[in-house]
Amino acid sequence: MADTQPSGPNPAVADQFAGRRLIERGHSRFLEHTQNATGIDIGACYQCERCTNACPVARYMDIKPHQVIRYTQLGWREALMHSTTIWVCLSCEMCTTYCPNAVDVAGLINHLRNTAARLPIRPAEKELAQFHQIFLEELRRFGRVNELWLMATFNRRPAILKKKLKDGSLKEDLSLGFNLWRRGRLKLLPHRSRGIGEIRKLYRHRRGESD
Amino acid sequence: MALSFYPGCSLEGMANDYARSITAVFEDLGIDLVEIDDWSCCGSTAAHSLDETMSVALPARNLAAAGEMGLDIVSPCAMCFNRLRYAQLMLKRRSFDIPWQVDTDFAVHDMTRFLAAPDMLAQIRKRVVRPLANLKTVCYYGCQMVRPPSITGYTDFENPQTLDAIMDAVGAQVKDWSYKSTCCGASIGIGRREIRDTLTNRILDKAAHTGAEAIVVSCPLCQANLDTVPRRPGAGRLPVFYFTELMRLAFRPAAEAGWFRAHLTNPLPLLNTKGLVAA
Repeated sequence: MADTQPSGPNPAVADQFAGRRLIERGHSRFLEHTQNATGIDIGACYQCERCTNACPVARYMDIKPHQVIRYTQLGWREALMHSTTIWVCLSCEMCTTYCPNAVDVAGLINHLRNTAARLPIRPAEKELAQFHQIFLEELRRFGRVNELWLMATFNRRPAILKKKLKDGSLKEDLSLGFNLWRRGRLKLLPHRSRGIGEIRKLYRHRRGESD
Repeated sequence: MALSFYPGCSLEGMANDYARSITAVFEDLGIDLVEIDDWSCCGSTAAHSLDETMSVALPARNLAAAGEMGLDIVSPCAMCFNRLRYAQLMLKRRSFDIPWQVDTDFAVHDMTRFLAAPDMLAQIRKRVVRPLANLKTVCYYGCQMVRPPSITGYTDFENPQTLDAIMDAVGAQVKDWSYKSTCCGASIGIGRREIRDTLTNRILDKAAHTGAEAIVVSCPLCQANLDTVPRRPGAGRLPVFYFTELMRLAFRPAAEAGWFRAHLTNPLPLLNTKGLVAA
């Protein structure tokens, strides 16, 4: 397996914000809103970059973790919403664990990801966003998540199927799937939870629907 | 002794080898694992990524069911453990609009830390029939079991010791290394496969550098990742064991352990040369 090149800055984000100076203000209340919603003391950051140095995937992000904090302070909300960072983050919690000022960087990135998911914007990492959505849909169907059905639902999406046919990764998936099935590691039929009604009710509440 | 057991979705499918070895080991130790009735998925990475409220509400259903049983929860999966602990903490801090009455007055243990308590280690040592002497291992913890410490309760999050202690108790050699809790990238493995491949391959390389012959894990996603990731041409693979598989091997050397066949990297040649399974 060849070591992959970092994806580099997202061109759209880079173009839009190239030459933007740090004194330019974004949304004036964004910092305050974010701090209130998360309880994270974002002002405590002194840009030591320890979070970025600890992050295993910083090289694949267009806005590095310490920059996420700075952008939030400056109110640069749109750049954050359109970043690859919020989707590439693994939630491995290295940044939060190593911050000398106890800034919950991973918590902030997760909050931004939550916010972006609610907005009608095209995520910079479409497949990562879609995978999370499909996972939650499978959970709503059955109450538990069956790995085989999850992958089948994911791969059935037209855009994903097309891409996977083109780059050959569908063939890899099928051969891995066959190998796992031969070794008895795939549960062919999903288990439906008896409490599925309660679980689906949570989903309706989430969308603001009544019972 | 009895514990309520939250297996998690992986243990029904990809990690059913883990599930079977857990049942066997806890039987040997004389501890009752009572599966939480009609448990449901904890929501994993997806729930907290898209909707933090759901990431509390989904585990809450299971916490409520466990609360009725009045037993501490033990979770074999690092991710489930993390999400259950997180939800429990959030429910203690403030109220959520959820349809369940949750009594949070019980402990959520990760299975390794439960078994690495001094009295449990003594029990384990007593049951070892054939120590796994000469088997050189490295223990890999991944991220969700140890981080963030404010949720997981690990104080030695930089150099966790639970798996090391258990492997030492069953007589295996445990190598020290620096990649115990470096993320393997499983959470974005489906959407950005190449990132996952890079991170996981590095962990496999570092494990091989220590001179270890096998990797010992407790997380189903780490196991699946380390066991199935495509390797660079020429780079070797190490068998990736669940710690309970090796415990059972030390407890009952003669017992048929069908779960080894579930591994993609066949561990039998290694166990054979060590004289740990019959040829």
